[in-house]
Amino acid sequence: MTETKRRVGVYVCHCGGNISDVIDVQKVVDGVANIEDVVVARREMFMCSDPGQNLIAEDIAAHNLDRVVVAACSPSLHEATFRGTLKRSGLNPYLYEHVNIREQASWCHKDDPEGGTRKATRLVAAGIAKARNLVPLDPVRVPVTRAVAVVGGGIAGLRSAIDLAKSSFEVHVIERAADLGGHLARPGRVYPTDEPAQDLLTGLLAQARSLPGLTLHTETELVASTGYLGNFRLTLQGPSGEPRELTVGSIVLATGFEHYQPSLGELGFGMSDRVVTLPDFIERLDPRGPTGGQIVKDGKPVQRVVFIHCVGSRQLEGVHVPPEGGRLYEHCSRVCCTTALFASIELARKFPQVDIFDVYQDIRTYGRGQEDIYEAAARAGVTFFRVAGDAPPTVEIDASGAITVRLVDLLTFNEPIEMPVDLVVLVTGMIPRDITPLIEMFKLPRSPDGFLQEVHPKLRPVEVCVDGLFIAGACQAPMDVAEAAASASAASAKAACLLGGDVISLDPFVASIQAELCDGCGLCLAECVYVKALTRAEGETVPVVNTALCKGCGMCAAVCPHEAITVRGWEIKQYDAMVDAIVATGGHP
Amino acid sequence: MNTITDAVVIGGGIAGLQVALDLADQGFDVVIVEKEPSIGGKMISLSKVFPTLDCSSCICTPRMAAAAHHERITIMTCSEVQAVQRVGEHFSVTIRTRPRYVIESACIGCRKCEYACPVLVPHEFEGNLGARRAIYVPFTNAMPQVALLDVENCTFCGACARACPTDAIDYLQEPAITEMEAGAVVVASGYALTETQTADRYGGGKLANVLTGLQMERLLAPHGPYGRVLRPSDGRIPDTVAFVQCAGSRDHSLPEGQGVPWCSRVCCMYAIKQAMLLSGSLPLVDITIYYMDIRAFGKGFEQFYQNARAMGINFVKARVARITEGENANPVLRIERIEEDGRVEDQPHDMVVLTPGIVAGWDPSSVIPVQIGSDGFVLSEHASLAPCRTRVPGVFVAGTASGPKDIPDSIVEAGAAAMEAANHLRRTAYASRRRTEAEAGGR
Repeated sequence: MTETKRRVGVYVCHCGGNISDVIDVQKVVDGVANIEDVVVARREMFMCSDPGQNLIAEDIAAHNLDRVVVAACSPSLHEATFRGTLKRSGLNPYLYEHVNIREQASWCHKDDPEGGTRKATRLVAAGIAKARNLVPLDPVRVPVTRAVAVVGGGIAGLRSAIDLAKSSFEVHVIERAADLGGHLARPGRVYPTDEPAQDLLTGLLAQARSLPGLTLHTETELVASTGYLGNFRLTLQGPSGEPRELTVGSIVLATGFEHYQPSLGELGFGMSDRVVTLPDFIERLDPRGPTGGQIVKDGKPVQRVVFIHCVGSRQLEGVHVPPEGGRLYEHCSRVCCTTALFASIELARKFPQVDIFDVYQDIRTYGRGQEDIYEAAARAGVTFFRVAGDAPPTVEIDASGAITVRLVDLLTFNEPIEMPVDLVVLVTGMIPRDITPLIEMFKLPRSPDGFLQEVHPKLRPVEVCVDGLFIAGACQAPMDVAEAAASASAASAKAACLLGGDVISLDPFVASIQAELCDGCGLCLAECVYVKALTRAEGETVPVVNTALCKGCGMCAAVCPHEAITVRGWEIKQYDAMVDAIVATGGHP
Repeated sequence: MNTITDAVVIGGGIAGLQVALDLADQGFDVVIVEKEPSIGGKMISLSKVFPTLDCSSCICTPRMAAAAHHERITIMTCSEVQAVQRVGEHFSVTIRTRPRYVIESACIGCRKCEYACPVLVPHEFEGNLGARRAIYVPFTNAMPQVALLDVENCTFCGACARACPTDAIDYLQEPAITEMEAGAVVVASGYALTETQTADRYGGGKLANVLTGLQMERLLAPHGPYGRVLRPSDGRIPDTVAFVQCAGSRDHSLPEGQGVPWCSRVCCMYAIKQAMLLSGSLPLVDITIYYMDIRAFGKGFEQFYQNARAMGINFVKARVARITEGENANPVLRIERIEEDGRVEDQPHDMVVLTPGIVAGWDPSSVIPVQIGSDGFVLSEHASLAPCRTRVPGVFVAGTASGPKDIPDSIVEAGAAAMEAANHLRRTAYASRRRTEAEAGGR
């Protein structure tokens, strides 16, 4: 296929055994070493490590390599790493081809090492074929608007907005409710500092209002978004009814969570006003709350209170019944153990006569100082009962309104317990908020638990797969106030890194059109799924690609009858070469 | 070396690296001070990490490489911060670099010295299960790939110096002191583990087949000391493995150094993860986890735990009162069940993994007037709203220096600390002033 001579370096990674435990990496090296244009072929324990990268750099210098192929893990992990190596070595970073022989060979062919090795060899051969056809590319550069929209005005949204305003970005907080603060605006005290939540909020709001460049839009919703990383054009719908346009470089999603709402009859919920959820109970404990801090039954203080954990969390199929059209919540809600114990200490302190019972599966007081809260609750006289996840307690309310809780206690070796109580507190979990319009607007991915999904929990924990969007706080997963604040600041840091310069560089894998081959049939225009990525002006024959909006999906290239439109870095002739190489690398897979 | 920078990050583990990268990507200059001979911290020694089971090196090495190659990041290994003094709005940081007895700029990491050295000593990186030489590159993917000489064990035979192709060995190297001026300091000094295995009840450190969690990490790592999981006493493949949870955590009865009263936060999850990896590599192995509460609280953790149960890993709610040695060097666990009938019984296993308590890796209050909690970890200015700000303006904290934490939480917190430090540098205009002065000086 290729006429020009290339000088290709090929590197096969052991991945510390992830690959080499199954794949015979030396055999892969031997199998491709004699392919035309291959100048060096080597294997290494960790190509991504410094010695591995240095090996490439040295070979580029010593052997004058002009194309590099690394066969290793998924390109999502390390393609950028090796592009960086090429760049540092003075080569165009797009003269690099990454072959995934971990997910696509070693991990899926554990039972067939020989077949896996043959497959890996073919994949590497195909990678070499593509590499020989690669051409230097330049990143797409887009100008940046130094402004950020923060969707949600709770703790995470406010924290993030304050950070960014301090970094002298223009910040817009978009809150659909009339008041800011989200769940923090409710009465009640929060651990670990034992302060009223509203006091925390007051401090944050004062700071937010004092910062120039920070605008708080309440009763406002984000209704539309066009544009891209660096230049999102947002439409806001405010209380006046007039839509408002806003251009920002980046968006932080801080849309928060919902408290699980038990269904009617679930553990007595809705059957008595003395079966309440934990958030409602915490509100009642507060003198500023709806009951003025009193917890009463028939006008008299309650005597016996039971907390039942994991309501709407850690649900199991076959044990719990999802509501109609609803789902089971298998996740642990992280904060409720400590929150419930913290509330029970406050209850014991305010009403020393109350007997407190706590029905749990595992007490998860994982954080700093939280074990102290658990121990303090035990010292305050809380009686603990442990139940199995598949044998939750039951709550019965008779005609007179008397409440009885029944359970089998594992701590007293399966003793059946039957206890009359005055008040049941259902320790409800945190569930994802319904943000369907935003999810559809940005095509956001969700984790199996329904919360927004980060790109990678360790490598990119506050980023989503949409460029320029970040996530902060409990829209990602249950977290407490401190964790939401940390997550929000981390998201701010990423936004600040992104928008710090005047331009942003994007990968150049976008559609490009050879005008002389185009006959203006327009098939590509109908196929393009991204708004305004491919357009054609009135009276023109050849469409135009907006390189900042094009995602390089290749739909246009697939339908073009003349191969006039193709995706840079993923050209049809490159694919042809790959297929030829796979066929040529003989033997059955 | 440039002795003026924007921020000094103390600790080059995953939290410190992330802080440095998030600051450098915002345009600030950063110096990472790492006391070990390589960056990467504890994370680089782990096998695979929960709850995604991706290999730890695959996550950690790109961060190490990115920091090492970043034009705004300088890494100082074998180095410790000895003093931090406030000078107006900035800090003067005194850094002491221990001699490697190898000239860093000359060493090419070829390991010829290592192959020539006749001395063998237990390898700390391998949890003392493997051996290293007296001169050695710290580990396979260490960064920088530079050898160091362990003078405690060196016999000064000269073999390494003769083998070195670049004359990098320098037996006469002296410690070096660097005075670094910086606008902000971030403490990311990480954690250490209690010596729980030395407690009498757990065998006093004398039972060969009682390992710590970190030692098991090395056995499970594909490039670990044995290349697979074997019993240290006889090299046999274990048929039954037990994990003792909260060995050294949530325990008021053990003396300081052997146990802590708090929850160490990661042990439940890493025991479950190790159990899963063990049943993957040894399909016939019988695994029991003795626990008090399973704390699978993070994103995806509960589902991970339920998968482990479905895989047939035994979870027994019990306390382990003592470990003795039975036949064939099998550890015998005296347990009291906190379920079923509450019986006390002796359970022999081929191998036992203890999950020690997590304590602070370093006490920064000896050099910076930050406040330390009674647990030894750094206190925040406000535990809810500013978890990464210490009570000293300009000094920030990230990762396990402020309490036990898993990798995702440490990384997120590192981002937050970088944001706080960046805004401090902007507010004090330290970075811009310093550049203006540098430009004026250069003219």
